[in-house]
Amino acid sequence: MKILSIAWKDLQVLLRDRGAILELFLLPLVFVVVYSGAVGAIGQGDKDERIALKVADLDGGADAQSLLAGIDRAGGVRVELIAEAEGLAQIDQAKLARMLVIPQGFSEAVAGGRPAEVRLVSHPNAGPEQSEAVRLVLEGVVSDLSLEAQILSALERMGEMQAGQPGAEEIWTVERAQAQARAQFARAEGEPLVHVAQRVPAQAGTSQVEVGMTDAAVPGFTVLFLFLTAQAAARSVYEEKKAGSFRRLLAAPVSRMGMLLGKMLPAFVTGLCQAAVIFAFGIWGLRLLGLPGVTLGAHPWVTVLVVAVVALCSSALGILIAAVAHTENQIGGLSSVILWGLGTLGGCIIPLFVLEPLLGPVPKVIPHYWANRALLDTMVRGLGLADVGVALAVLAGFALLFFAVGVWRFDFE
Amino acid sequence: MGAILEVDGLAKKFGDHQAVKGIHFAVEEGEVFGLLGPNGAGKTTTISMVTGILEPTAGTARIGGYDIRTDLDKAKQLSGLVPQELALYQTLSARANISFFGRIYGLSGRELKERVREVLEIVALTERADKPVETFSGGMKRRVNIAAGLVHQPKLLFLDEPTTGVDPQSRNHIFESVLRLNRERGMSIIYTSHYMEEVELLCSRVAIIDQGEIVALDTVKNLIGMLGGGVLHVGVPRADQALLDGLAALPAVESVRLLPRPATPPPAPGRESTKEPALAAGGDVVKVVAKHSQQAVVGTIGYLAEHDLPLTSLEILEPNLESVFLHLTGKKLRE
Repeated sequence: MKILSIAWKDLQVLLRDRGAILELFLLPLVFVVVYSGAVGAIGQGDKDERIALKVADLDGGADAQSLLAGIDRAGGVRVELIAEAEGLAQIDQAKLARMLVIPQGFSEAVAGGRPAEVRLVSHPNAGPEQSEAVRLVLEGVVSDLSLEAQILSALERMGEMQAGQPGAEEIWTVERAQAQARAQFARAEGEPLVHVAQRVPAQAGTSQVEVGMTDAAVPGFTVLFLFLTAQAAARSVYEEKKAGSFRRLLAAPVSRMGMLLGKMLPAFVTGLCQAAVIFAFGIWGLRLLGLPGVTLGAHPWVTVLVVAVVALCSSALGILIAAVAHTENQIGGLSSVILWGLGTLGGCIIPLFVLEPLLGPVPKVIPHYWANRALLDTMVRGLGLADVGVALAVLAGFALLFFAVGVWRFDFE
Repeated sequence: MGAILEVDGLAKKFGDHQAVKGIHFAVEEGEVFGLLGPNGAGKTTTISMVTGILEPTAGTARIGGYDIRTDLDKAKQLSGLVPQELALYQTLSARANISFFGRIYGLSGRELKERVREVLEIVALTERADKPVETFSGGMKRRVNIAAGLVHQPKLLFLDEPTTGVDPQSRNHIFESVLRLNRERGMSIIYTSHYMEEVELLCSRVAIIDQGEIVALDTVKNLIGMLGGGVLHVGVPRADQALLDGLAALPAVESVRLLPRPATPPPAPGRESTKEPALAAGGDVVKVVAKHSQQAVVGTIGYLAEHDLPLTSLEILEPNLESVFLHLTGKKLRE
């Protein structure tokens, strides 16, 4: 009850602080708009928005060319050639989401009416929506190619048979030719000549392959500004100490742990409200501004759970900052490092798929990284609780560590 | 009536600095007790230990029989603190501030509302109750500060320098409130200040604290009585035993003592000495405790003239707590 009283009082104080409200609730929206709109639009004026599909054409024959032309004609997917080894290496490094491999002898097999196979190799964390779009286009084109090849093959055989058998016109009536064509069509559908084999290399779940800059804006800035509440919590403790009301609370029948929890709770609630505002803006506001909106993913409650754990981690970090920073300048300095420095390294501003290849495992020691990864997994990739379990556990561990060190180092006197 | 507060060998050390040196005192129920001493004497540290803000290095205290080492929460429930600082939330209203501290002490619902109304009335701020504290004058803020310490109706109220930076009108209002609380509710009050007039006016007993030690504890009357009819600081070029004996033999003189020469160099020009003024002037200073100050002055001057001894300075200290403090510690209260 006393913890709630402290928390409610802090929220009342916060609500009367217009500067803090602007910083906590309006600033993230400005960042999201700028990032989603202006930054996302850079170079998009004449940019081809089709999904890029790298293709390693080991065959180079007419049917391979025909397949690529078909993909291009189908729309939605843009073909870009790449060497097989380079493509596989890029997938391995999480730089490339997927690649189509047309094996050597493909055209010869298709031309000879023998079954042929193309391989679609994808990164385990390739965006499911984009992968599905590529697969549909590919299977459509392959199906057409199979049908074309099989019908042509059947007609060729009919021609050969007619040429070898005088009076065959009696055998190959129009009805029989139509029946043959139908049978070939059914066979092409049931047993396509060209098969799309999908392969996902076994890898540790390296995050982030398919997420674009604009996709990352809402989760990234949600994480960045959720951690800003740590500064608000630390500043609230500092202000209480400066005003003397902290001494007054110490003289009241409230446990020291209760006081710290009472200071954490408003930061936690503020974090949840912040996320709600940013998400609402991301879902509806961006669309109203003509920008692509976001969703909470296939499992919205998992997204909410992630936000709750991040808010917990941030509020515990606030106690740690309050414990180690003794002046307003120290709080400001530490908070800047945490907000902007760690936020940048943790993928809040520059997406993880850009950072990870550059920084290797460094971001993994930063809570922002795990928060970003979990939110991207739930919101963008539509993954569920099992997939973000590790990130949630790491964030909870950070929260516990921050709180424990904060309590240990806190100067009550 | 028993003691509401018993302080037993309470001590606090900050690093190498011994801020409070094992003090003992007791405050009776219904008493207004003064803790008088200069800034840095250990008053606030003592209160901080008793109220549970600081953990004592040694010793303990009991509030209403509850030991602060073993029953701190029960002890806290019986006491209220009005700290020296304006320990308020400036953007919240007076009512919101007082209500918050009421809830912290376990009040809720109708009872909380009633208590808040009551204390707002005591500090005469009912009409401004819903205005943000930041819009108040310094004196009004002090009154809200006091109200926040009263809302849970403590048996023992610690008022730590409650009149710092307060205009005379608010100061008078604070005095009235303190006396009213004590008179009408029997609330015991510990009042710390370095203003002797306030302590003289409000407190029945006073502990004089200096450098973490209680140097005297008695009723105001008895403390002032220590100086008899007052104290004279008599400056002479050189005092010998014959002079001291001669002055001591005068009928209006209670006792005589040669004050030690200052060990520290004289203060920089323009700065007031922290020691007794006459000591800084050079020569010797004889401290004469008088039975009757006027007769003692006449007798002393006569004695010096009779023995052809020049008088280099003469300071007459009227009997009050300020001169008692100077008499006991050799220092002024408001340093």
